[in-house]
Amino acid sequence: METTTLRVLPCGDTALLVESAGLDDVLALHAALDADRPAGVVDLVPAARTLLLRFDPDRTDVAAVERAVREACPRDVTRSGGELVEIPVVYDGPDLADVAHHTGLSERDVIAEHTGGEWTVAFGGFAPGFGYLTGGSPRLEVPRRPESRTRVPTGSVALAGTFSGVYPRSSPGGWQLIGRTDLVTWDVDRDPPALLRPGVRVRFVETTASADSGGSASTGGAA
Amino acid sequence: MSELRVRAGGLYTTVQDTGRFGHYHMGMPPSGAMDTYSAVVANMLVGNPDGAGVLEGTYVGPTLEFTDDRLVAVTGADVPVTLNDEPVEPWTAIRVRSGDVLGFAMIRAGCRAYVAVSGGIDVPVYLGSRSTYTLTGIGGHEGRKLVDDESLPLGAAEGPGRDGAVVPEDLRPDLTGTAELRTVVGLCSYRLTEGGLASFLGTDWKVTKDADRVGYRLRGGKLDFTEREQPFGAGSDPANVVDLGYPVGSIQVPGGDEPIVLLNDAVTGGGYATIGTVISVDRDRIAQTKTGDAVRFNSVDLDTALAARRDRRERIERVRSRIAR
Repeated sequence: METTTLRVLPCGDTALLVESAGLDDVLALHAALDADRPAGVVDLVPAARTLLLRFDPDRTDVAAVERAVREACPRDVTRSGGELVEIPVVYDGPDLADVAHHTGLSERDVIAEHTGGEWTVAFGGFAPGFGYLTGGSPRLEVPRRPESRTRVPTGSVALAGTFSGVYPRSSPGGWQLIGRTDLVTWDVDRDPPALLRPGVRVRFVETTASADSGGSASTGGAA
Repeated sequence: MSELRVRAGGLYTTVQDTGRFGHYHMGMPPSGAMDTYSAVVANMLVGNPDGAGVLEGTYVGPTLEFTDDRLVAVTGADVPVTLNDEPVEPWTAIRVRSGDVLGFAMIRAGCRAYVAVSGGIDVPVYLGSRSTYTLTGIGGHEGRKLVDDESLPLGAAEGPGRDGAVVPEDLRPDLTGTAELRTVVGLCSYRLTEGGLASFLGTDWKVTKDADRVGYRLRGGKLDFTEREQPFGAGSDPANVVDLGYPVGSIQVPGGDEPIVLLNDAVTGGGYATIGTVISVDRDRIAQTKTGDAVRFNSVDLDTALAARRDRRERIERVRSRIAR
């Protein structure tokens, strides 16, 4: 594996950000460091092209952590074979038309592309229970919203870049909202609380009824 | 059953400790006391382990009634404290008995006061911590801020606390004047123009009303970026527009005019360019600023950041030895 492409950036006195060529490299590096965690490293946070390492500066230092990163032997990870979760979605998101415009697809085609394939949670982050879903249709690649919303409702199903995701709770957010689900993706009374954990496979299923819609019939599929 | 009665919850009082670590990758921020120094010192005063559960009051503190013999100490913000309506000293271990009532007046300086009680606030440990994270309702007391007329469990007071133990003035934080925040500039700062960076460092920023445990939004200047914000996922690079983990203390500037400093309850990642990170020690200082207060960012290198951390550890040990006498 090519390690010379790594760029290591300081983040204050308690973290380092390692920039890699892409998601596969990040996950391979993460797998290596997670299996043999360098002393003093308290958190490993993989993301799209970066791995954030948070460390306890009383137990290690920047140089030692950077050395461990550079000496790690990235291991290939298979991102398949995990449990399959079906997510029922009402596709009435406020950005569905914009997504259709960006992708050159009709709204119906956007829905077909989104439900047509299997997604896999590559990594978590942002907020508890949020999983970054990869492996979907490349035709759905869209930019984030130019301005992020201060409040995205719980259960919003969204797209950004090549990722899809489900907002586990109401929060600010800049992704393109194409629909919503009643499925509870984060529940503190469940063990583990997050439904969309790395490795979990996801299939989106279009539904028309939702508990939120105020209608009497609900096939919502809430957990 | 040992408990602490909450007669009034105050404006925004939560149970915190030194934080919940190791769950960042699943989007779980550390939470924990925003002003770690004050929380740890409060625990020391009453003979608790540094990481015992304390109460963090914001602006308006709680009113607390004791149900047995305890030591209590208040640290953090400069706020008049009373016991049975009589003034008592902050940064001091005070012996209380059943029926005694601890109260707060209006804050004079700072923002967050810490209350430690010998034995600690003994709420259940969730994912290794007693800290409250209200956004998902976990940890602390039922995952939320305190309300009027409820009770909190207390642990057994077996520590070495001593009535009258006091933290000398020079070991209390100075909360007056502009908050000077030492910052390691980096990460995506290259996206700022030279003028933009100079303006970031040269501006007296004002804390807006959007300032809480999640983060502080500041106002007062304008920063120029070298290019327009690239849309997420467009093209092959640069990495600063692709979602990445945000360290606590990191500063981002969506829109270019309102820097946001992410704090203990912040989102753990996202797609905004991070232009620097406030060093861990000085996060205690920003936690003690409130709406309208002035904040400046001073660029420091990593060695300075680490020296500041050593310096603080030494201060904590000095407090420990003073209290032990």
